[in-house]
Amino acid sequence: MTGRSHSGGPDASSARAAGVSVAVRARSRRWFESQTSRRLTFGYLLLAPAALYVALLVGIPFLFSLYLAVSDANVGDPVARFVGLGNFRAAWEMDTFWDALRNSIVFLVVAAIFKSLLGTSLAFLLLQSFKGKKLVRALVVIPFTLPISVSVLSWKWMYDSQFSVINWGLHKAGLIGAYGSESWPVWLGQPHLALIACIGVNVWRSFPFSAIVLLAGFTSVPTEVLDAARVDGCSFFQRFRHIVTPMIFPILIIGFLFDTVFTLSDLSVVYLLTQGGPGSATQILPVLAYQIGIQAGSLGRGAAIALMLVPLLFPALFLMLRNLKRRDW
Amino acid sequence: MSDGQPILKNPGSIGRRRFLKVTGAAVAGSSLATMLDARQAPAQLKGTTLRILTWSHFIPAYDVWFDKFSAEWGEKNGVKVRVDHIPHLEIPARMAAEFAAGAGHDIILNNSTILARLYYKSLLDMTDIFDQLGKKYGGWIPAAKSPIEVEGRIYGMPMYYILLPMLWRKDLFDANGLKAPDTWELARVAARTLKPKGNPAGMAFSHCNDANLNWRSLMFSFGATETDASGDNPTIDSKEMREALRFAKAMFDEGMTPEVFSWDDASDNRFLASGIAGWIHDAISAYRTTESTNPPVFKNTFIAMEPAGPGGKRVSVSAPIVFLSWKFSKNSTAAKEYLTHLVDNDKEGMIQSTGYNMPFLNDNAKKPMPIIGADPKMQVLQDFPKIVAFFGYPGPYTPQIQEVGLLFVLPDIFTRVARGQSIDDSLKWGLGEYRRIFAKHKRA
Repeated sequence: MTGRSHSGGPDASSARAAGVSVAVRARSRRWFESQTSRRLTFGYLLLAPAALYVALLVGIPFLFSLYLAVSDANVGDPVARFVGLGNFRAAWEMDTFWDALRNSIVFLVVAAIFKSLLGTSLAFLLLQSFKGKKLVRALVVIPFTLPISVSVLSWKWMYDSQFSVINWGLHKAGLIGAYGSESWPVWLGQPHLALIACIGVNVWRSFPFSAIVLLAGFTSVPTEVLDAARVDGCSFFQRFRHIVTPMIFPILIIGFLFDTVFTLSDLSVVYLLTQGGPGSATQILPVLAYQIGIQAGSLGRGAAIALMLVPLLFPALFLMLRNLKRRDW
Repeated sequence: MSDGQPILKNPGSIGRRRFLKVTGAAVAGSSLATMLDARQAPAQLKGTTLRILTWSHFIPAYDVWFDKFSAEWGEKNGVKVRVDHIPHLEIPARMAAEFAAGAGHDIILNNSTILARLYYKSLLDMTDIFDQLGKKYGGWIPAAKSPIEVEGRIYGMPMYYILLPMLWRKDLFDANGLKAPDTWELARVAARTLKPKGNPAGMAFSHCNDANLNWRSLMFSFGATETDASGDNPTIDSKEMREALRFAKAMFDEGMTPEVFSWDDASDNRFLASGIAGWIHDAISAYRTTESTNPPVFKNTFIAMEPAGPGGKRVSVSAPIVFLSWKFSKNSTAAKEYLTHLVDNDKEGMIQSTGYNMPFLNDNAKKPMPIIGADPKMQVLQDFPKIVAFFGYPGPYTPQIQEVGLLFVLPDIFTRVARGQSIDDSLKWGLGEYRRIFAKHKRA
């Protein structure tokens, strides 16, 4: 048997195959040598460190917390068993969990509103020319750069039930009575005031960040466009709404995303000021997760509570990023 | 013919491995016993390192002494000792990290949050030195084992506990014809009388350790209990507990101001030092600090025995401080030797802490105790060791009761009642939280 075939015999077919393979090799070699491929390779190489960083420092811990959340892991036992959704169910059964969830949402929304208002105002102020502008710019970021424990302890003193400088000021201004009177606010002792006090510290600490982000956006808007709008008779608010906001939208979204994540995962302010009290008036999910997961040692339940932040964050992130993409930025 | 089964050896015979194990253990045990007896560290400790993680004591002078004491012990025994001080609230997170890494300090202090029952599988068994020291110093006070005993073994060394007695202003009491607060009822009468005169009383209702300790002292003195003797079942729903809650509500309404809802562990110190407080229920650091910050208040502040409940019962819930050591510690022999030496010098520690540290050992609790035995105002503290209890009383200090404490469930029950919620609803809520926490630990 010669192995000859109807299609022209072995020599022809192998020659054809060899030809095809050479052509494919040549084409693939050509592709690898092409400008596009080199550009892509270079691009991926540049992205690799960031991708690796995200995978190692975000992806793996996230997957590990998923594993913890469905196990009965605790700090004292290296062997954990699969418990399914038991930890989530345990969290849902706690009244404190629902208080923490409600407070987390209130905290996020109220803080975001105030940070937007104050951040925008501050950014506009910093856009103006005045003497000592550079110094003021440096000073406004101080709350953001101070170690959080130091700044929160200072606030703790300012909210002190007896020696509060805020109350002292209000009393001197004749707005409240003396210490011991009914009108003397106990900032960290009355449920609504305590939550306001915690949000206040978070806003104080973070709104310079919002201002800096907005300032960066504002300065990127070409002055010619604003001047043209001014000549056309646009008011300040019309210029802000129809020109500035659409032009800096991507920056706004990214700033908002950062702020949402920072606020929702902020453990320090509440933990150092009230530890979630009085009652559960200021309890938020990160503090509850820390108390149960680390202090009480139930890693599984702590991880499950911490992961409850994901359903809160995910829709917001999805909507914002989709909006950003639709605008083709 | 072999059937695949291992050939059974004569159970009475000793194999080579077993022989080595038994003789090794015997030699190690006897050398440790000899070493403990002779108070001399074995030669093999020389050149090793001992790392100690401890808190920043409320009395800074104690830390200075502790560091020096540890360094001197190290020099004497050729061991390089390193002492790290961190805030005690950070210790649980540090322990979790060390456990995960399988490396870290050789000796770790636990304050109030005692993690012995959580980590016991990975902790050094200290039953031998615990028993030996107990024998040497007339036994341990009854509460000593509660935080560190698991299945009959001891996994930590009790060092001292911190009392929270009644600190009251004698000048104000005398001026108003009030009796010393020897019972909770007298304390309530004093609060009711002094508040209108600008000197309210204060006990934290907030999320702080003082609140956890103080309200437990009150409820246990009223005859209520937290768990049964096994520690597996919460027992807070009782007639006595309802009475304690009713009393706390009345005492708050009549004699305190809402600021107690906002307090941290140092707020009552400041409240006393400001001269406002008629009485507080707090550690003696509050009393000590007034010595320099407000001498007239210091002069007029007296310390009372834990107030008795309606049935005359007194229970003082204190903050225990114990030392633990990892099983994976590379220097467990030195750890045991060091801890033994530290307990041997317990009285010196009491002196250096200016009476703040209270002894777990009966002989050290004998009158007159150092410092507090010589101070007429503090002598009453010598009567506390027999009424000391910890979380979970009369049951042990279990991980579930610790979680109840960390989530401040008990102070929250008192807070709810003080804020006007019904006792039934508050207790129902609290019992639900207890049961959920207990059930989760039982399942785990």
